[in-house]
Amino acid sequence: MAFLDITGVSKRFGGLMALSDVSLQVEKGEIFGLMGANGAGKTTLFSVIAGHVAPSAGEVVFNGTRLTGLSPSRICRLGLCRTFQIVRPFAGLTVAENLRVAALYGSGRKLSAVEIARVVDAALEAVDLSDRRHLDAAQLTLSGQKRLEIARALATGAQLVMLDEVMAGLNPTEVSAMLATLERLRGDHRLTFVIVEHVIGALMTLSDRILVLDHGECIAFGTPEEIGNHDRVAEVYFG
Amino acid sequence: MILGVALAVFGAAVPAFGSPYLMGVVFQVAMWIALAQSWSMLSATTGYLSLGHAVFYGVGAYVCVLLTGTIPFELALLAAAAAAALFAALVGMPVLRVRGPYFVILTYGLSELVRHVVMRIESALGSFGRMIFDVPATEVLLWWMVGLAVLATLGAYAIRHSRFGAGLAAIREDEVAAETVGVPVTRLKLLAFIASAAIPGAVGGLALLRTSYFEPAQAFDPVISFTIVTMALVGGTETVRGPILGAVGFALLSELLWSSLPQLYMIVLGVTLIAFILFVPRGLSGLVGRIGRAG
Repeated sequence: MAFLDITGVSKRFGGLMALSDVSLQVEKGEIFGLMGANGAGKTTLFSVIAGHVAPSAGEVVFNGTRLTGLSPSRICRLGLCRTFQIVRPFAGLTVAENLRVAALYGSGRKLSAVEIARVVDAALEAVDLSDRRHLDAAQLTLSGQKRLEIARALATGAQLVMLDEVMAGLNPTEVSAMLATLERLRGDHRLTFVIVEHVIGALMTLSDRILVLDHGECIAFGTPEEIGNHDRVAEVYFG
Repeated sequence: MILGVALAVFGAAVPAFGSPYLMGVVFQVAMWIALAQSWSMLSATTGYLSLGHAVFYGVGAYVCVLLTGTIPFELALLAAAAAAALFAALVGMPVLRVRGPYFVILTYGLSELVRHVVMRIESALGSFGRMIFDVPATEVLLWWMVGLAVLATLGAYAIRHSRFGAGLAAIREDEVAAETVGVPVTRLKLLAFIASAAIPGAVGGLALLRTSYFEPAQAFDPVISFTIVTMALVGGTETVRGPILGAVGFALLSELLWSSLPQLYMIVLGVTLIAFILFVPRGLSGLVGRIGRAG
């Protein structure tokens, strides 16, 4: 069985099918890319997987555990954590305190103070925020807050991290810095990622495999090269 | 911490030296510290502002008056605290589903609802206020009240510096993000609600024993809730010393006003609250901190 196994997930909001019969398998250690235009259902799929939104049909199995019906906090403690496209820092807490909360609660185990400090330091290091650890999260730039989102997910001890458009809104310099950070994360950790990204170049570079959604349906699936040459994708994206 | 110890020493000294009037004042001050500090366990940590803490005070007083005479008063006070905590546990789940202004209004409404229910029950029983006789000595009650103030202060301090407190702070800052990084939001909120209800229950019981008279409209008086919120906000919610400063300042101020200009009490309460929210949002505690750093 795959590390993350999604079968036949549908989500209906009133008359709108945000997701219809989406199935995908993410293998341990890979970077799985999700592509699609605005409103294609990418963020809805994230919300379903992370437990923020209940699917109308289908099920999500992570590491052998059925996630459907569990609370987001329970899902996090099982080892799956998401970030938010519209960042949600604990604005009044410092950067380090943000990560400390994630380390205290994210793993579901009681860690010692030393272990907590180590987790926080490692997460800061991983996203290059060590020098800003004492700032209030509200004082970070958008790029900093996106990094904080990633660091907070890492600090929970998650084995699978879902990144929702961590490059959206960043300038080209920040995008390449973020790309370098993500490349390093893939090398340093034994982590699995599912990423949603509008910056197509970044998605193509990072992903091992890509699934393309359009109006809630899977329209293509394959390696970045295969997706690049896919007729239907070209049609959806470039008309 | 130091404040807590100082408070205990002060409280211990008063019965030995004090006049009945001074003992009365200290009783009031300790009572408001216990209440404001308990309130801060929920409202300062999570940002869920309760405007209904009088209900826990009232439940405590009611339970205490029903039990007095049948069991020793110490047990009656424990029962009062337990009843308030149990009440919080029962209503907490639905009440804590809403936040912001809705939570403020809901807690106020709940408190008023319980007040009217108890008033109806009492009048249906043909009781118009219950007198109790054979109450413990004033010194004993004062001891208990000071003990509760110290307990509430230590409790509030412990919560803020614990894993529990870190989770509550995350809830205050962003509930969805807290849930996402593994904080069991619903459970922590409920625990904070229960923790902040227990001591006010015992306080209500003690206040009842002191006045030796129970009247529902008084025991569940919403002015108690307003005063708690005002004291905590004027004192400052960011530190444990805030509610102490607010309670001491206000209790002393009200002693002055009651003796000279009682009709001004509520007006002063309101004006002070507005002034602090507008001009001193971090409260007396923030002011003290600023002066401390400057000097």
